[in-house]
Amino acid sequence: METRHLEDSKVTSGHEGLEPHRTRRVVLDVNGKLWSLELECRTTLAEALREHLGLKGTKIGCNRAECGTCTVIMDGRAVYSCTVLAVEAAGKRIQTIEGLAECGKLHPLQKLFIQYDALQCGYCTPGIIMSLKALLDRGSNITRGDIREAIAGNYCRCGSFPNIEKAVEDFVRRQPDT
Amino acid sequence: MNATQVQEIKPQLLVEGWVPPPLGRDFTVVGKPLDRLDAPEKVTGKANYAGDVSLPGMLHAKILRSPYPHAKVRRIDLSRAKEVSGVKAILTKDNTQGWYTYWYKVAQPAFPETVSYVGHEVAAVAAEDIDAARNALKLIEVDYERLPAVFDAEEAVRPGAPQVTVTDLPNPEPSSYGPTEPNIGNIYAGRPSVLTRGDIKRGFQEADVILEKVYRTPSQHHGTLQTRTCVADWNGDTLTVYESCQGVWKAKEDLAWSLKLPPEKVIVKVRYQGGGFGSKSGAQRFVHYAARLSMETKRPVRLELTRAEEFVSHPRRPSSVVYLKTGAKRDGTLTAMYGKAIVNIGAGGGYRPFINQLIGPPFLMYKCPNAYFEQWGVHTNLQYTGPTRSPLNVSSCCCVEAHIDEVADAVGMDPLEFRLKNYTPYADQVKMTPFSSKKLDVAMRCVTEAIGWSRRKEHAFLQNNMSKRCGIGMASYIFQGVGINPCKANAEVVIKKDGTIELHAAIVEIGAGSMTTLAMIAAEELGVPVEDIRVMYGDSEAGPYAPGTHASRIVPEMGPAVLQAAADARQKMFEVLAEFFKIDASQLRSAEGWIYLGSDSSKKVRFKDVCGLIGDKTIVGRGSRARNPGSGYPIRGENPVEGPVNFATFGASAVEVEVDVETGKVRVLRVATAHEFGRALNPKFCDSQHYGGVLMGIGMGLLEEPSTDKKTGIMLNTDLHQYRMPTALDMPLEIIPFNVEGDDGFFAYSAKGGGEGTNSAIPAAIRNAIYNAVGVWMYEYPMTRERILAALAEKAATGR
Repeated sequence: METRHLEDSKVTSGHEGLEPHRTRRVVLDVNGKLWSLELECRTTLAEALREHLGLKGTKIGCNRAECGTCTVIMDGRAVYSCTVLAVEAAGKRIQTIEGLAECGKLHPLQKLFIQYDALQCGYCTPGIIMSLKALLDRGSNITRGDIREAIAGNYCRCGSFPNIEKAVEDFVRRQPDT
Repeated sequence: MNATQVQEIKPQLLVEGWVPPPLGRDFTVVGKPLDRLDAPEKVTGKANYAGDVSLPGMLHAKILRSPYPHAKVRRIDLSRAKEVSGVKAILTKDNTQGWYTYWYKVAQPAFPETVSYVGHEVAAVAAEDIDAARNALKLIEVDYERLPAVFDAEEAVRPGAPQVTVTDLPNPEPSSYGPTEPNIGNIYAGRPSVLTRGDIKRGFQEADVILEKVYRTPSQHHGTLQTRTCVADWNGDTLTVYESCQGVWKAKEDLAWSLKLPPEKVIVKVRYQGGGFGSKSGAQRFVHYAARLSMETKRPVRLELTRAEEFVSHPRRPSSVVYLKTGAKRDGTLTAMYGKAIVNIGAGGGYRPFINQLIGPPFLMYKCPNAYFEQWGVHTNLQYTGPTRSPLNVSSCCCVEAHIDEVADAVGMDPLEFRLKNYTPYADQVKMTPFSSKKLDVAMRCVTEAIGWSRRKEHAFLQNNMSKRCGIGMASYIFQGVGINPCKANAEVVIKKDGTIELHAAIVEIGAGSMTTLAMIAAEELGVPVEDIRVMYGDSEAGPYAPGTHASRIVPEMGPAVLQAAADARQKMFEVLAEFFKIDASQLRSAEGWIYLGSDSSKKVRFKDVCGLIGDKTIVGRGSRARNPGSGYPIRGENPVEGPVNFATFGASAVEVEVDVETGKVRVLRVATAHEFGRALNPKFCDSQHYGGVLMGIGMGLLEEPSTDKKTGIMLNTDLHQYRMPTALDMPLEIIPFNVEGDDGFFAYSAKGGGEGTNSAIPAAIRNAIYNAVGVWMYEYPMTRERILAALAEKAATGR
């Protein structure tokens, strides 16, 4: 009997042979709130956010650090949360798309995204906004090249990039000179 | 006049029954760059896509796929897989005999006896968690009998080639995508589609210049950021599916047929959708498995395809090889056009509407008395093919618009001038059937002027010794998809006594802004601000039958239906007011939230304030689209121009590129691109469609190419690093969009739609600009660095 399977081991978190899964208590600082979670060590930050904290604004598009939809900010840097383990994120400051609007009031960047139609299907939007937030938090004198580089790791198949650039350029123009 | 000239038809809004009168005032909503109504949820992460749905007791499913391109499934042993803790159900061909999945009404065996591509479904597992499902998958033992396979279309038509097992069942229904006639060998329907007029033999004799070339276009994957995901929930009576598809009603029908359920027992919900581009028009195969597993286990079942599965399992754009031969006189007059297109349609899928889509554009776009084109659909042991943003339009454009530039060059004419010289306003040049509107000439002039066509130096490469050289090129297109008969599209507008106005439009918002656009039509017609409209959408229960959001159908099909529904509701509202105010309903007008009671504009009442007068007799305005009087889309009609008038949208793109002759890298610096929307209902959304078209066009033109192992038929680049889609860094520094408008009385405020076509001309325009920059004609897409360098090396070696 000939048995072979189409190999997709590279695709999702396959962890045969690790059972019973080791767990660990992890304290995550997400959007300024602390969460104590009992997680399997293999749990990615994306899984922890989505499955354990119910923060489903962080999307998953490839689960292997290629598409950028899962981007969140960790200690000021944009990271792919699908390839950061939750245990690695412990003690670090995590910001997700849910933390951007304060008391239901949209962040200016979110408003500009709407104004410039910088989104279509919206699936990549949370990741792109977080990539840009990390850029904008880092400093001033942001150029168009900086904007492009900041989202070079985020796919947008709908092609919203020109509008995204316009939205961010407008945001930068509105900031007081530093 | 020609005796066969078609009877003229008066433009009239394409609706059933009552035709609403013209608005009679300036637009107050339409034409304004309003924000998307669903944007706040999308920028805050509150938008819940199918993958974000989690139901109590939900199981997780995985699919076992064939590792072989062609094999008989002899025996499947589940004994070990069943023992995995947490496994609840396993489906295979053995326990689902006679079960079909549906794709555009085409029945395909859910688990075929013979698998015909790598990735074809063999089994489906549902388990308590994803690990158990994966583990079970690995323990399913399948005994395959391997069969010879063929992957190349030209090889597949040679005598003695392996015979592909095609499992799509024939379906004579015109709106089905299935075959109507039996295949002969690997040839779809056993013959090519043919478009012909005049006498090409004579045409070639009359020519001063004859050019003959071969072009190759690749498959293209949709690359939606959301992989196919669904949650199916059978409660013992009704099946509810949270889907990621582009059409809730279509998916509802597909699932009802497949699972033998009455349609009213199937509910499909797609509130947010993470990208479609044609790949998810109705229910796709994967959702059928989740649904059946849910029915078997009586538990909700979640199925999410991995990125690699996404690549191998969905119907992608077919690849093609196209032979073109054209004759022209020295003055640029076309005398004969011949073409033969061989389209690799894989193991099956949705080829039927595209049987003449590759050869249609040159046949329709250029004035030429003698033309003969044939298009062959050829089955191979590659994955299914199907709709992908401008399915074969873009492939056609890649070849024909490349060829036209070469013919222009051969007779020493400017490519724009050549296109304008051979321009025709007619869809059928013999019968002189008109297009309802055609502004391609305007589009071509807009883009060439914006790109700075006058800066374009003929054979710029001759004067340039720099390693990075710039060039300018253009291309144009037709998209024949302004409604697809039978154009079943319905809408309702409800006005309640508390002032609530609801638009019921059971469409899916896939990102083009259709939901907001339809709300704008309703708001305009009612005379209220768009914020006052609550749109019920993204749910098969949201309203009467509506088409899927694909083929640019929503605006041309749902537009007239929504306009009629809103006008109907407004008239009913006016009648209520007329009775109350004791005036004639015909004197009432509405705009911007006010209802004017006669010609004195100070006599007005707020729309919302007077809704109380409705009482308990809630107003329901209804709208239904009528059929296109002619063909709008060539579904199995051999002739793409039937009936008294033809509908199409047109467009053109002009690009400026920089080619690095040392590395072969092509950068698209600037793009000017135009699409004939008829009316840009929301110009902001139209611009966004241009940008999306540019991105997908650059992808097909320069970067994206599925790579298949020639021995095993396995796709090698099933990830987003190696299947390279354009990123922000690949986008031009400047894109100048043009939304071409013009009267077209058949559609809602003349809006013919768009979005689908906008990528069509980009690859060919880049290709023509590359010639202008470095003097090589490229014949194979995508024009990767390797291909550019090879072409430059050949030019250096041969001096040509």
